[in-house]
Amino acid sequence: MNKKIINPEDATNIVKNSILKRRSKDSRLKLFGRVAIGLAVCFLLFLFYSIFTKGYPGFFQYYVTLDINFDRERIDPKGDLSDNSLFDGDASTIVNESLFSVVEPKGRKEKKLAKKIVSSGKDVRIAKMVKDDPSLFGTVTQVKFALDDDIDSFLRGYIKRETPESERRINDKVIGFIDKLNEEGRISYEFSDYILSGSASGNPEMAGIKGAFIGSILTLSVCLLIAFPLGVATAVYLEEIAKKNRITEIIEVNINNLAAVPSVVFGIMGLAIFISIFGMPRSIPLVGGMVLALMTLPTIIISSRAAIRAVPPSVRDAAYGIGASKLQVIFHHVIPLAMPGMLTGTIIGMAQALGETAPLLMIGMVAFIVDIPNSVLDPGTVLPVQIFMWADFAERMFIQKTSAAIIVLLGFLISMNALAVYLRKKLERRW
Amino acid sequence: MNSKKNDLKSLELTVGDVFSKNARLKARNVNVFYGENKAIDNVTIDIGSKEVISFIGPSGCGKSTFLRCFNRMNDTIDSCVIQGEITIDEENIYDKKIDVVPLRARIGMVFQKPNPFPKSIYDNVAYGPRIHGLSDNKEHLDNIVEEALKRAGLWKEVSDRLSSPGTGLSGGQQQRLCIARAIAVSPEVILMDEPCSALDPIATAKIEELIHELGNEYSIVIVTHSMQQAARVSKRTAYFHLGKLIEVGKTKEIFTSPKHNQTEAYISGKIG
Repeated sequence: MNKKIINPEDATNIVKNSILKRRSKDSRLKLFGRVAIGLAVCFLLFLFYSIFTKGYPGFFQYYVTLDINFDRERIDPKGDLSDNSLFDGDASTIVNESLFSVVEPKGRKEKKLAKKIVSSGKDVRIAKMVKDDPSLFGTVTQVKFALDDDIDSFLRGYIKRETPESERRINDKVIGFIDKLNEEGRISYEFSDYILSGSASGNPEMAGIKGAFIGSILTLSVCLLIAFPLGVATAVYLEEIAKKNRITEIIEVNINNLAAVPSVVFGIMGLAIFISIFGMPRSIPLVGGMVLALMTLPTIIISSRAAIRAVPPSVRDAAYGIGASKLQVIFHHVIPLAMPGMLTGTIIGMAQALGETAPLLMIGMVAFIVDIPNSVLDPGTVLPVQIFMWADFAERMFIQKTSAAIIVLLGFLISMNALAVYLRKKLERRW
Repeated sequence: MNSKKNDLKSLELTVGDVFSKNARLKARNVNVFYGENKAIDNVTIDIGSKEVISFIGPSGCGKSTFLRCFNRMNDTIDSCVIQGEITIDEENIYDKKIDVVPLRARIGMVFQKPNPFPKSIYDNVAYGPRIHGLSDNKEHLDNIVEEALKRAGLWKEVSDRLSSPGTGLSGGQQQRLCIARAIAVSPEVILMDEPCSALDPIATAKIEELIHELGNEYSIVIVTHSMQQAARVSKRTAYFHLGKLIEVGKTKEIFTSPKHNQTEAYISGKIG
């Protein structure tokens, strides 16, 4: 029998019968989609859970409370509270004496061990206290000092009492001192005042991210100030002004290629151009920002061009038709309408730049810098590089500090994006 | 009138009266190319002062392309080349000395799809006067906006919501807003490219009435697909076919007694 077009009744039946099959296909697809999203959410939650549970303790550390006799003669021998005078003072000894009075070490060797319990930043802390409040002089006040990182690790249980003495980083004598301090209730676990306000330090208990955080802000500001206007201007020129010819085509292809260039290459370029040829100093946020700007430019240009292309031609026609000049069309109509899209590209670019390590290693922002940068010309480092460095250190306590720094980096990223989304929403008027 | 010979040459092609006594716009032997493609073939026509003329013809006949030559909107298309001469008040608009910005202020345009700016109703109308510096102060600008909206027959409907978005209006209102926007810069000529093709019959009727009224103030060139519309709004009609201007004449005559057989075929619905 020749196949002919099926008559309507049969067709209706066939469609009816096939509908169940189609429905089940639909629901299967839906199920797959849900499973995929569910998995993604699980991974994300797991990631956040592990980062936060690991990083959370990094914001806390163990302190010891000691009674300090603020003897002006000894702390501030010149009596003028100058850095010089405080440096000549004998604050460390006062702290040690107070400690000895509690743990009662016998002999030189034990005293030497006991001294190490308190972090080496003790004199700095006392100097800062008397500077802030000179009325402390002549009083005996309880002061909290950070414990050395090994003691901290012991108190957290990373160094175990059961481990044979020869294999531990702290010996039985020191454990005895700690027990004594504990008995007197002098040891406390508190929010660390170093993690957020400190800077790079070889002593993990005193290491903080403030320097890197400020460095990140400075570097990103430079990056944004260079990349955003330059990227938008390039996109506007290529889309609105330049004639479409071979040269613009080559430029376009190369911009797209640049977006795929590994970031470390931009670092090498920055090293070669900004540092070697222009002779700019190493390790400064200005150079870092410039290198990151080079890296983010292609992203911003590509997304800005897409945003400009998405501006309806009818708006351009309307503006031209009424006698607007090219510049007026661009500035009154094209850029305002394309701005949300441009900002989206900028957010993506900035997020990339924030997390970038490799190009900054090339220009020396990996240096060990204790001072917090005050301007883009002061040597500094950035959060991801700080994390990279800490992850490389041997001390146990740096693991927590690393995780804590990651949390801060994530927080920075999220708040930056939130700000950008807010700005975009504000600019975006769907009329 | 650069050469009589050329005029005669085009007369051979076009039936009817291409010339006008008080011509404001004159097109002489205009050819338009899109790359290799010839879109307009040797068209000569006058457009009179305060005259409503409609361009009719089948899709793709070049009537919109020709319309866009008058305010040089084709300039934005790179591949588009225009030959011949178009003058406004005896001034060649394709002269190198002529700046398109003031030209487009003199020759306004209304597009096929209503295209208000994504701004408020007020800003839509005020945009032209603002960029051309036509108002002395805020009060003057307010007056211009009010006047333009009144002439476009939109004032009553929007006077209480001038700051609401122009894109929130209905299609017909949007198109009248676009007309108001064009009027606000006080043009001499208004070009309309199928202004009613996206509108319903009621909105169309309003626009047609408006065109009729505006015909007393401005020269209006309207491109339309609808022969009825051409018959209703215009005094003169030009029929285009495949890039050529076939026939020009009084609207009545074109629709009742076309001289060219192609025009007749189109009018009677055989082509198009």
